[in-house]
Amino acid sequence: MDASERPFLDLTGVTVSYGSTRVLEGIDLGIGKGEFVALLGASGCGKTTLLRTIAGFIVPDAGTVSVGGHDVTRLPPDRRGMALMFQSYALWPHMTVAQNIGYGLKLRRQSRADIARRVGEIAAMLGLQGLEARKPASLSGGQRQRVALGRSLAVDPEILLLDEPLSNLDARIRLSLRHEIRTLQQRMGITAVHVTHDREEAMVMADSIVILDKGRIAQRGTPEEVYNRPASAFVAAFMGAENVLTLSGSASGEGFAIAPGPFNAGCLVPDLLPTGGVEVRFRAEAGTLGPADAPPPEDGRTLRLAGHVVSTSYPGGIWRHAVRLGEGAADGATVLVDAPHPVAQGQAVSVLLPPDTFFVFPAAGDAPPPASDSRSGDRRRRLEVQQA
Amino acid sequence: MPSLTPQRLLGLFLVLPALAMVVLFFIVPLSASVIGAFEVEGGFMGGLGLDNIIKAFDFYAQDMLFTLVIVSLSTLLIALFSIGIGGYLTLGENPRAVAILRWLYRWPMFIPFIVVGQVLRTFLAKNGLMNGTFVAMGLITPMQATSLLDWRGIVIAFVWKQTPFVALLVAGAMASIDRGTIEAARNLGASRLRILFEIVVPQVATTLLVGMILSFVTMMSVLSVPLMINAQSPTMLTTDIAFRINAYGDYGVANALGLVSLLMASGVALVYLRIAMRERS
Repeated sequence: MDASERPFLDLTGVTVSYGSTRVLEGIDLGIGKGEFVALLGASGCGKTTLLRTIAGFIVPDAGTVSVGGHDVTRLPPDRRGMALMFQSYALWPHMTVAQNIGYGLKLRRQSRADIARRVGEIAAMLGLQGLEARKPASLSGGQRQRVALGRSLAVDPEILLLDEPLSNLDARIRLSLRHEIRTLQQRMGITAVHVTHDREEAMVMADSIVILDKGRIAQRGTPEEVYNRPASAFVAAFMGAENVLTLSGSASGEGFAIAPGPFNAGCLVPDLLPTGGVEVRFRAEAGTLGPADAPPPEDGRTLRLAGHVVSTSYPGGIWRHAVRLGEGAADGATVLVDAPHPVAQGQAVSVLLPPDTFFVFPAAGDAPPPASDSRSGDRRRRLEVQQA
Repeated sequence: MPSLTPQRLLGLFLVLPALAMVVLFFIVPLSASVIGAFEVEGGFMGGLGLDNIIKAFDFYAQDMLFTLVIVSLSTLLIALFSIGIGGYLTLGENPRAVAILRWLYRWPMFIPFIVVGQVLRTFLAKNGLMNGTFVAMGLITPMQATSLLDWRGIVIAFVWKQTPFVALLVAGAMASIDRGTIEAARNLGASRLRILFEIVVPQVATTLLVGMILSFVTMMSVLSVPLMINAQSPTMLTTDIAFRINAYGDYGVANALGLVSLLMASGVALVYLRIAMRERS
């Protein structure tokens, strides 16, 4: 995308309220032509509202939506060159598969022969041949969602909007449809905006992920960026870094020095943070378990925690250990750490977190964090982990 | 056939009161009335014959047709208005207008037929409220005022009274269809009218048909409205039945006319049962 050029689908300052409740707060979002963007967030974060605003079912209180440089903020849904796919499929139960797919073309007054040809193409593309005369009620969930996709694609939309279209499907069908939608989108060069609360789905399908939190964009980046370089504690938690520790340290020349504490050794991180409390987050698979008397790491950049195993479980492939840090300390915490072999319950262990596998943020309340309004959510999450 | 075990007997015993009620208050009177239609003096097998039926058709064939046309026409109009009201409640974009309509449209349901007849009698008469208003507004001259107290009055009364009931059913069904199906059509560019008739109505067709059938049968049995609004010939079968009994004590022809009404109602009831069967399967 050329930086000097306006993005193909461009949202500026989009604000939406339901009554007195602000749902979206000044959303600025540019999406390039042919890009696949996933809107990711917990339920109630405003992601569906944002999609419906793009689609034209909601007129924003403030801000504009433009497509290809034209302001479409107040245009009706059908004049925007967009097709929307619904979570509930929203197929017309009284029409056959062919009628469902062809309805948009019928509305565009195409000839019967043209409609039949296009429906045939779409059915072939989506593997729906032989089902054209069936009604939706006699199709499986995966087939229904394919028909819904076909109905959207039949009218050659420039932009495809997907409102959690896969969340009602079985896990296996979901995996194959993810791949199918992505392949079709790339082949047809359609710009796609996909709403989901499934992190993995967003990761595998999208070129770019937009994480929403309470009506604001918490971070936007490639899947790799948001996973490995979360911009805030909220994003880190949402991307699976559920283990949380509250430590303290001081700014030093090269970055930030975490001070030794009741259950952790000191270490240096490259983040530029003000002196004071910090929140450290990491994923269960980030750490390695070692014997309690293992020698401290020599690089000075690995975070070493001490604790004992309180329980183990086997979610598949690896063993997951709940490790209680800080023996008997009031400010101790329980973290989840994966290991290839089980460690006996009650065993004293050390948890080693190599550089770049843990994320450090200013502690909530100590310094203004990037997403200040996500504090209470973080506290809640921290409590959940501590109680785990 | 399995023998009657005590358990089976108990089951039979439990259902007996309900069964007795149905037999006593429904099947017996209905059968008596049907048989009554064929009872004549000195007829075949101790008093059976077709005299009453022949007389009923001789005297009232025109009224039979009149009844069928009036009730069918009313049913069609009720369906149209119900779709209109339900459609506006579902697709209307002015929240205030939708709220007002939602509040208003049900009122006629709570007004008895006899009151409807009376209200419309004063409203639709030659110098009634409607013509008076039109004259006052300068739309028509007093000379042009005509009374609508004939078949048109009956149709208006029926539609006025029964539309809310069917609209209530239809609007409820429309409210429960997946909004996504409406939005998907809008997203593809369908106008509201097309959405109503191509997306919404087909999805509530069964409910609409059931409402129409129930209205049809209800209107078949209304006596007060034709009596108050259309005191002339041709008129509806209910009026004729009342007349045969009150004026002549002629239960035979009255029963024959009742049988004809019953057959008309059975025709639509058959459709209703078929739909119910299809829904269950």
